[in-house]
Amino acid sequence: MSFAFLLHGVTLAAITLPTVIGYNVVFGKGKVFHFGQVGLSLIAAYPLWLTIVHFQQNPLLGSVMGMVFALLTALLLAWLSFRLEPDAFGVMSIALHLAILNVILNWQSVTRGALGVPRIPRWEFMATNGIFTIVAVLVAVAWITFIFFLDRSRFGRALAALSEHEWYAESIGIRRRMTHTLAFLIAAAGAFITSMFFPSYLYLLSPSDYTFPSMIFIVMCIVAGGPGKVLGVTLATVLLILLKEGLRIIEIPWVMETGIQFVPIPASILGPVRLILFGLILFAAVWWRRDALFPTERRV
Amino acid sequence: MQLVINALIAGSLAALIAGGLALVYGVLGVFNLALGQMVLVGGYATWWLYQSLALPLVVSVFGGVMIGAIVAWCAFEVFVAPFYKRHRFLPLVTTIALSMMIDGVLLLLFEARPRSILANAKTIVALGDARISLEQMFLIAITFILLCLCAYVLHSTVIGRRIRAVVQNDHAAMSLGINAPLLHRMIFIVSGMLAALGGVFIGIDQNLTPTLAFPITIKAYAAIIAGGKGNLWGAIICAYLIALIEQMVVGIEWFGAFYVPAGYQQSVALLFIILFLLFKPSGLFMLKNRSA
Repeated sequence: MSFAFLLHGVTLAAITLPTVIGYNVVFGKGKVFHFGQVGLSLIAAYPLWLTIVHFQQNPLLGSVMGMVFALLTALLLAWLSFRLEPDAFGVMSIALHLAILNVILNWQSVTRGALGVPRIPRWEFMATNGIFTIVAVLVAVAWITFIFFLDRSRFGRALAALSEHEWYAESIGIRRRMTHTLAFLIAAAGAFITSMFFPSYLYLLSPSDYTFPSMIFIVMCIVAGGPGKVLGVTLATVLLILLKEGLRIIEIPWVMETGIQFVPIPASILGPVRLILFGLILFAAVWWRRDALFPTERRV
Repeated sequence: MQLVINALIAGSLAALIAGGLALVYGVLGVFNLALGQMVLVGGYATWWLYQSLALPLVVSVFGGVMIGAIVAWCAFEVFVAPFYKRHRFLPLVTTIALSMMIDGVLLLLFEARPRSILANAKTIVALGDARISLEQMFLIAITFILLCLCAYVLHSTVIGRRIRAVVQNDHAAMSLGINAPLLHRMIFIVSGMLAALGGVFIGIDQNLTPTLAFPITIKAYAAIIAGGKGNLWGAIICAYLIALIEQMVVGIEWFGAFYVPAGYQQSVALLFIILFLLFKPSGLFMLKNRSA
């Protein structure tokens, strides 16, 4: 049981980490109330894979399309964040996510709606699960290392200063628009990397993987790992994904073939139970970190 | 004509929910993202009382609204009160956690199947070339009465003056002897009751499904933000406006060439509001707070 489960868990964690760590730059470090990260993944994944699968174009062109769409949406979100109050922006970023999802679900002639896009290909050299895992882990490690050093750079300090007190930070020459726009673009790049791997791992691009509960899961990883902490969030993501996959393992066909049943709960109960469990974990994490999640402004 | 009636029906439901929320935002300054789930709690509770326990409809509706009030009160005590004085953004995250838990419980108890409180056929009335059911007329009338009642309480009673004082300046109101924490609780419970009543209307007019929750929440907040945060009447007007936009998007033949498919109704309305807020971020009717 353990090796198949571990391989699956590690692969999913490696695939998910780029978007979580990218989002951590905006929400965790920058304290920008942004809940549209899964919307960014959605807008990166569909142009990328539709270009390759539906329009039968070059993967490179698909990648460019996915990246461009994700970056443009990140710029729109950044603009919206400059125009709106923080909490209003939070709600409107969810609205943007829902609107994009709704368009994808209804544009059936291209996206196939709720059925999703099947037969998502893998690169030839990543055809086996073992190689796929190694590549996903290497990319995740490279991304985490990049963000780790970025976090300790002038950009990271500027982002932290803005999150502590915007006016004071701007008074010492930190440019909010530039810093936050860059943070949103990094989050979009993270979402794009995840979108490159996730559908090809499942051989399916399904809109049901991009609903709001997926966003809550990402928020939970950040809150549980410590907002803004790269290594803490990485650890929390790995552990929470192992827990999440441990609960759903009975739904994975190739694992079922091995006869493994990690938790013997009927599938109709499993979904709701998982929602309740993750709700409890998120609440407990916020309770535990209620002083660190949105700290009181420093005063001179 | 049919478009206006449809907008009036959808707008009445949205106004009921957004009105309560605007009060909560005005008084507490917090967003409750479990609102859609509270709507469903009221609807499902009424369905259970009416269909499973076979209680009379009026008793079931009253029971559903009361269960909504109890859930709202518990939600306030556990998920809002310990957090909103520390930072007003914290309840936004804790209520997301609450929304997941309520979603899970609703799915366990009622499953994902659509549920309708009144299973029998509705009586349709013709108004010129438009059609409306008696239940929908009742929904519009009840919303109108509740909004009038709300206006009366807010503008002509002692408690209304206290609420407006707390909205304008929490600390100044407390210094004058107004029990602001008690008012916070009351307002949150009232918003929960209005939300539960909204759920009853959904259960009577359409079907209840757990997937309805988030779109309801987001549309209500879109109305609040577009109406100018904390402005009760702005939120209510914008709830009707959003409903009208949604109906017009799918009901009009655009450029004499095509109709927008009904599935895009929600997206177009949300994207329109996002674009509108980019150019007028303070909303249509922004209130200015008094500062001491």
